[in-house]
Amino acid sequence: MNTIRRRFQPEQIRELVLIALIIGILIFFGTQIDNYFSPRTFTRISTSVAVIAVVAVGQTLVILTRNIDLSVGSIVGFTAYIVGTILSINNDIPPVAVVLMAVAMGAVMGSINGLLVAYGRVPAIIVTLGTLAIFRTVLVEISGANSVLTNELPRWLVNLPPVNAFTLGPLDIRLLFFLAVVVVIIFQLVVSYLPWGRRLYAIGSNPDAARVAGFPAQRIIFTAFVLSGALAGLGGFMFLARFGNITVVAGQGIELQSVAAAVVGGVNINGGLGSPFGAFLGAILIDVLDNSLIRWLAISEFWRDALLGLLILLAVATDTVIMNRLRKVWARHELQVSGDGEPPAEKGGAGYAA
Amino acid sequence: MAETQTKQPILEMQHISKRFDATQALEDVSLTLYPGEVHALIGENGAGKSTLIKIMTGVHRPDTGTILLDGQPTHINNSQEAQTLGIAAIYQEPMIFPDLNVAENIFISHRSRGMVVNWGRLFKDAEAILAQLDVKLDVRMPARGLTLAAQQAVEIGKAISLKVRVLIMDEPTASLSAHEVDQLFRLVNTLRSQGVAILFIGHRMEEVFRIADRITVLRDGKYISSRPKAEVKRDQVIREMVGRDAGDFFAKSEVPRGDLLMSVRGLGKEGAFTDVSFDVYQGEVLGFAGLIGARRTDVGLALFGIEPADTGEITFEGKPVAIKAPDHALKLGIAYVTEDRRGLGLVMPMSITTNISLPTLRRYLSALGLVRRPEEQRTAESFREQLMIRTPSVALDVGKLSGGNQQKVMLSKWLNARPKLLILDEPTRGIDVRAKAEVHHIINDLAAEGLGIILISSDLPEVLAMSDRVLVMREGRQMGIFDRKDATQERVMTAAMGQQEHQEPTGAVQG
Amino acid sequence: MRPDWSIFRRWEGLLLILLILIVGYNALSTPGYLTVGNWVNLFQLSIEKIIVALIMTFIIINAEIDLSVASVMGFSACMMGFLFAGGMPMEWAIAGGLLAGFVAGLFNSFWIGIVGLPSLVVTLAGLIGYRGLAYVLLEDRSIGEFPAWFDRLGQQPLIGPFPLALIVFFVLLIFAIIVLQYSGFGRYVYVIGNSKDVARYSGVRVRRTKMILFVVSSTVAALAGILYAARLGAVRGDMALGFELDIITMVLLGGVSIFGGTGTMWGVLLSVLIILNLRNGMGLANFSGHVQTGVIGVLLILSVLVPNLAGTVQAALKRRRARTVEVVAAE
Repeated sequence: MNTIRRRFQPEQIRELVLIALIIGILIFFGTQIDNYFSPRTFTRISTSVAVIAVVAVGQTLVILTRNIDLSVGSIVGFTAYIVGTILSINNDIPPVAVVLMAVAMGAVMGSINGLLVAYGRVPAIIVTLGTLAIFRTVLVEISGANSVLTNELPRWLVNLPPVNAFTLGPLDIRLLFFLAVVVVIIFQLVVSYLPWGRRLYAIGSNPDAARVAGFPAQRIIFTAFVLSGALAGLGGFMFLARFGNITVVAGQGIELQSVAAAVVGGVNINGGLGSPFGAFLGAILIDVLDNSLIRWLAISEFWRDALLGLLILLAVATDTVIMNRLRKVWARHELQVSGDGEPPAEKGGAGYAA
Repeated sequence: MAETQTKQPILEMQHISKRFDATQALEDVSLTLYPGEVHALIGENGAGKSTLIKIMTGVHRPDTGTILLDGQPTHINNSQEAQTLGIAAIYQEPMIFPDLNVAENIFISHRSRGMVVNWGRLFKDAEAILAQLDVKLDVRMPARGLTLAAQQAVEIGKAISLKVRVLIMDEPTASLSAHEVDQLFRLVNTLRSQGVAILFIGHRMEEVFRIADRITVLRDGKYISSRPKAEVKRDQVIREMVGRDAGDFFAKSEVPRGDLLMSVRGLGKEGAFTDVSFDVYQGEVLGFAGLIGARRTDVGLALFGIEPADTGEITFEGKPVAIKAPDHALKLGIAYVTEDRRGLGLVMPMSITTNISLPTLRRYLSALGLVRRPEEQRTAESFREQLMIRTPSVALDVGKLSGGNQQKVMLSKWLNARPKLLILDEPTRGIDVRAKAEVHHIINDLAAEGLGIILISSDLPEVLAMSDRVLVMREGRQMGIFDRKDATQERVMTAAMGQQEHQEPTGAVQG
Repeated sequence: MRPDWSIFRRWEGLLLILLILIVGYNALSTPGYLTVGNWVNLFQLSIEKIIVALIMTFIIINAEIDLSVASVMGFSACMMGFLFAGGMPMEWAIAGGLLAGFVAGLFNSFWIGIVGLPSLVVTLAGLIGYRGLAYVLLEDRSIGEFPAWFDRLGQQPLIGPFPLALIVFFVLLIFAIIVLQYSGFGRYVYVIGNSKDVARYSGVRVRRTKMILFVVSSTVAALAGILYAARLGAVRGDMALGFELDIITMVLLGGVSIFGGTGTMWGVLLSVLIILNLRNGMGLANFSGHVQTGVIGVLLILSVLVPNLAGTVQAALKRRRARTVEVVAAE
């Protein structure tokens, strides 16, 4: 028990619970929908989860520092549209340059957010609520309300979504999904193993202490916003590849979807807790629900959003209740250990020992 | 420590002045820290101690004056620079990151631990540092849930890991029990023997005289004196602090015990405390003594309905009651004055008036539910006079007052509710000598007026001096109730630490 | 020579100056700008959002947020349309719409007050869920052809030059000012917003206050949704989509701290006037609605950034002065 307690924190169990929840939902729909467990279902879900997963990872980095980025939807739309427009004018730009361009564009927009939040000391929700409107406005003005059309885009881009990175038995791992998984893995490693990543948790955990702890908290918050923007830029590229036709309202609502994915995935809205992997699971959970409800014949497809809202609520509620239970068990155990391990009367106060 | 005179000082603050808008926080203050010396800095709240510390740690910059480090003039522009220079501070509330584990908390400020976190090495290094301090903690546990004492140990570990040369300790003992103070002082001694210069700020004279080698007194932002401990007497220091003679430790006067006010039998709450039984009479002060973690506060919270008890019976004024919520307790006439003034006691950014009328706001509402402000203000003014709250106006935000005056506002707030039973949780923590004496006076007057008072305090001399009877708890269990004449420091301490008594205290356990 | 920044540090002062500038510019460049008719039009175009902003002010001062208001507006209006299309008399259909909002409010309150989930999460789910229910009710249909009196209430003046929605707004505004700034309940809202723990430890019924606010919020949103339906003359599943961000912007621009505890109804009123006049002025100057939204976004950020920077500049100036003194002293 002791080693289990040391190795697994309640937060890791939270992720296991999420996985169990996803499996439970899959099994339920498996009994409801004919031919549910097919490679096509996997392809469909993995394709649609890719964009939101990438954006949600960026969102997670920001939320960990007790901030929020509501401008990501506008960044996705902006980069998708502008990159699309540039490509329809010049079809010959190499793919790598296209991706880099999208990422850089997002990073620039993210740096505006970061500058205002970290150095201008304006609350993130105000800044990003503002830039949500501003980025969109700039896009509308630039575009003159025209759309990007699929047939103007280079062929490699239009043909990108069905390209497989590799196959896993009967399952096709699409390149875009693979890209998203790589992003999740990279940032999971970043927050677990880089000092920069650990300091994200520190800042969200106790912002006051972070200010005097002797590490550059402002710069770290700034970088988190830049990365969130950059990942939204990457999401914009993936959005363009997936849909082809891009209007000026593209990506609207992604800001709330990414927050929803992170929150369902156990990222604490008050910072300090959660992980990119959790947010990825959250995105998958929402997407599984979304995709399955459309195919569920028992109810009309118009029930989708209503049930989605309810299920997000239930997921977070059960999660919270279970987490509180677990924390109590952990805390009680800790008390016992310090209690019978080192009675204060003989060896010193709780926590100390002679 | 006679040889310290010949040592090179590490840090010299020379003729420092600092002004904030209208207030001259520091005026021509000098302070010299030597390696291997514990230097106590004392003074009332508002004497300028915090400002001086903040200048040393780079939070503020002095308007005039020089800082010498190893004899070289230095500018400290931010906390990061202070850290690089080997200056670190530990505050009353440890600056801990609750979601990070103990090891990470120790090394969070290090910039030279490589590009990638090597968890194995991190844990090993953290364990080594804690071992150096003789502290046993699981370095893998998140810091959330550590006791205050353990958090301070982590902070000291952090300072050591940074090769600290000057360690500033700002009221580190304010929230610690007597026993934990011993533990802390052992750590301080370890650091001293390793040649660290320690600046110790405290309000408890006993502690200052126990740990310090040299004592510097500030008053109203001015330097008053600085002398080796051997050359100075306690009352002399207190006189210098307050600028006048301070009376002896205040003792409660005898008040005839009134009627039975409340009786509690077998009170318990899962995970907190079990089987607590006592009676409180009108005009009586019942002290609650014990170490930190004795769960005395939990009993107070149960009686006030914040965390209601789940077993046991409470009889209040002869009627059995179940207290399920604070507004319920208030209606009965029970008030609880919290130990956590900032977090739970007062709304810092709101006015004195607003804070005082908060629990009893209904009394100030017109038939339409609007607040009758003139009446509210009259109440505030009367308390300002009665309790001598030092403020230019009752419309001032509470956050702008000194700790002692905040404490009086908090008392006013609850006295205005005209309680029959007043539960005071650490009412003199972190306030200066003069304010402390005033609070003791107030407690005495209230008891004389017939209030029943439960006094929870970790300041043992205070509990013993102020209480008619003392209930001792240890880890959620009631260890006994001592009458005033039997309640000696040793007896109470022995019970609090859970060791066997040689002889049963006569007439100890009631009920 | 010491510039006095204090006027910029006080939000309401800054807003008032800005409002006077905008109204002045509009009045000078557009004849007939300062007529009652023009101002009624001004308000009428966003009246539903303004009504909801009143209750949102309470919620944000209380250190909570309600993201579900726009969806509740849509849901309630659709409920009304659904009941009317099902053959119910219009009066009853309206009552049904209001009831739907009330129930949505109870639902939000339950999760926030009883279960104890953060309001951001609960109302985020509400934002998706109530919108979903609107779609469930009407699918992709649009329902119109309400009784003539209903459309008239939304579109024609009722008393003098003022249509019903504007009158509702004035009544609610006065009520909101009295409750927030002068009543005991308003005091509790501020105290809880500043510190919910202090409030609880002072015997304030924190949970109850929060739950009342969320029920009122959804009910007011339902009323606004129905007024919106009357103005449009039809209801659809996607009506009022995305209004929540505009509403929150109005409140935040009014100087209400997103962290709760500070801000006044007066500030929100000023911010509403600024937004209306700015949009109107820009509309007259042929700027598109999108540009107007963008400018308001800039304004929102500046409203916090300017006082912050003013503070920093002030501190820097003071330091420089101090340094000069030091140099002089040294010489």
